[in-house]
Amino acid sequence: MISSRKRFLRVAVGSVLISLLIGAIVILILGKNPFSAYYNLLQGCGLAPKAKYGGGRSMFTDLSSYIDFWTPMIFAALSCAVAMKAGLFNIGISGQMLTAGFIATVTIGYSSLPGVIAKPLVILIGCAAGMAVGALIGFLKYRFNINEVVSSIMINYIAEYIISFFIQTNFIDPVSRQSVNIHDSARLTFHQIVLGGYKYDLPIGFLLAIIATIVVKFIFDKTVLGYELKAVGANRTAAKYAGIRVGRSIVLSMAISGALAGIAGVTYYLGYFASIQPKVLISTGYDAIAVCLLGNSEPVGIFIASFLIEIIAKGATYMSSQAGLESEIASVITGLILLASACNVFFMGILEKREQERAEKAKGINGPGSGGANAPDTEGSPDTEDRRGGAKA
Amino acid sequence: MISALNTIIIDGMSFALPLFIMAIGGIYSERSGITNLALEGLQGMGAFVGALTAYLLTLRLGANSQVPYYMAMLFAMIGGCVYAMLHAVLCIRFKANQVISGVVINILGMALTSFLTKTINKQAFGAPSDKFDLGVSARFTVPGISKIPVLGAFFTRIYPFEILIVIAAVIAWYFLYRTRFGLHLRACGDNPAAVDAAGGNVAKTRLVAVMVSGALSGLAGMCFAYSISAKFSNDIYMGYGYLAIAGYIFGNWELLPSLAACLIFGFARSAGSEIVLALGMPSAYGDLVMILPYVVTLLLLVFLSKKNQAPHALGEIYDKAKR
Repeated sequence: MISSRKRFLRVAVGSVLISLLIGAIVILILGKNPFSAYYNLLQGCGLAPKAKYGGGRSMFTDLSSYIDFWTPMIFAALSCAVAMKAGLFNIGISGQMLTAGFIATVTIGYSSLPGVIAKPLVILIGCAAGMAVGALIGFLKYRFNINEVVSSIMINYIAEYIISFFIQTNFIDPVSRQSVNIHDSARLTFHQIVLGGYKYDLPIGFLLAIIATIVVKFIFDKTVLGYELKAVGANRTAAKYAGIRVGRSIVLSMAISGALAGIAGVTYYLGYFASIQPKVLISTGYDAIAVCLLGNSEPVGIFIASFLIEIIAKGATYMSSQAGLESEIASVITGLILLASACNVFFMGILEKREQERAEKAKGINGPGSGGANAPDTEGSPDTEDRRGGAKA
Repeated sequence: MISALNTIIIDGMSFALPLFIMAIGGIYSERSGITNLALEGLQGMGAFVGALTAYLLTLRLGANSQVPYYMAMLFAMIGGCVYAMLHAVLCIRFKANQVISGVVINILGMALTSFLTKTINKQAFGAPSDKFDLGVSARFTVPGISKIPVLGAFFTRIYPFEILIVIAAVIAWYFLYRTRFGLHLRACGDNPAAVDAAGGNVAKTRLVAVMVSGALSGLAGMCFAYSISAKFSNDIYMGYGYLAIAGYIFGNWELLPSLAACLIFGFARSAGSEIVLALGMPSAYGDLVMILPYVVTLLLLVFLSKKNQAPHALGEIYDKAKR
């Protein structure tokens, strides 16, 4: 168990390093310095000091803005992980985020409720809206055998166009070409709060994200529900024979996944931003898949992986302005990480084989004088041990 | 009224046929046992390579030449084919989860093409832009037959690529259902072990099938670039790849029923925009019409998915050692 986790860590670090290396080569070909470009990424996220700052800005205000940006991704990637554990692939996270963000915006965002009531309501409504969409996808899969990837993409487009229609007919801000900004009282980020002369963005969602990470970890490690979801994900037929209600588990995992995506949506559209851009489906839902694969669908792994991926995403704007590179290089690097992560089972297999060979070789060196009769015994034991470890993982 | 009906048919066909050829690609891949959610990325990559080819050739040969148009189609197929090999390698050699691999191909394709389009425009042509302008393809009308009421619309204002697609579709049908190779391919999707026992090469057949799906998707992407968008840009990723997937699922992984599905999508789309136009509704209502193909897809899947039978070994990694 531990050794498989270690192996995964090696593969994950390896895929990130290789992707960054390929990115560096591309940057080099374009005649720029990859080290300064990558340093710009850190500077853009407030993890390294910039040469100069505007009024009210500092490294720490950049960092606060980065955390604000990071928060939705944690929820989105957790959402992806919950579905993935149950063997489902939620590619509709962006659509669920948009639906939740839009419903919360029109119900609470434009109301004049005080902040103490409005903020929790925004989270609850976002959660419920996302959950409804997720459960629908799960239901279509369970009841009508519709591939969840196809149905969620259809729902993504339907949500995008319908919401864009309502924004453009009812809620459009003629200047920004986006929906009218929500009231500050409903916003989940304390935007541009002045502390000691600096303006910080303080996201409430980040605290929730930490709690959500722990809760999801608890559900998977310690509860019957989590065990059942994992069993369904590992082998649907076996789970069915073990008496687990597979259909219920599918709908439930998509509902939880949708609920997390809904919270991701409200922390994005009513937190980091205060408005919705019509006709745009954000890429967070897709990047979340990269984060989830890189983090091995483990809540703690996701927390770390999302931190990394979001540095690339958020820092790209600053890098593009400083180094003159197109900011799309960031999504190319994320794509490469995703590509390498997709092969992680294969690479882990190679590592495992190599470890076994090394172990066998070590045995051979230790006992050169031993007779042939007891050799199979000593060779047999580590082999079975390893196989058991593999089965558990 | 007649003219509205004609428009619906003309626009519907020019949308349905590229969708159909992409669905054929998907059928090839999935009948060989490789789940292919990568159609979206493959058509985008194909369109990118084709559009770049056309752009470069037009600079050299001038705007009146027909060569760039056909070379774009050819290179779009090559581009899609080569990019599809990545999906094949991930699924066959690296034994990656085929659903994940497909999604990865889509995300990476979108990122790569938009990065390359911007970078090439800036570095090579010295003009910052996120697109390659192509213009809409010329059309032609078959004299005589096009005068027949209603049916004539199928021969009116045709894009030349529609002919290419029909030819490609007939060849694809012949290979899949009437040749040894097609039989092997279909067997790979249902019982790869049997193919192996009979001396066939499962990995090679699947590789070829995925490459065919890449080539056909690339062609489809180029057709969309020359008709609907009139350029190559990120607009190419409108989810048509997924519509094609829904098309062949609805068509139960068979060619002719899939054609029917694609025609339904095409006519739903053109009829919708014609209605908005006829009723003189403001442009925002166009957004509502855009959802029609997607809603139709979902509803059709609700009614038909239960009966459908996917290839038996679809999505399974074939491992000789595990026989």
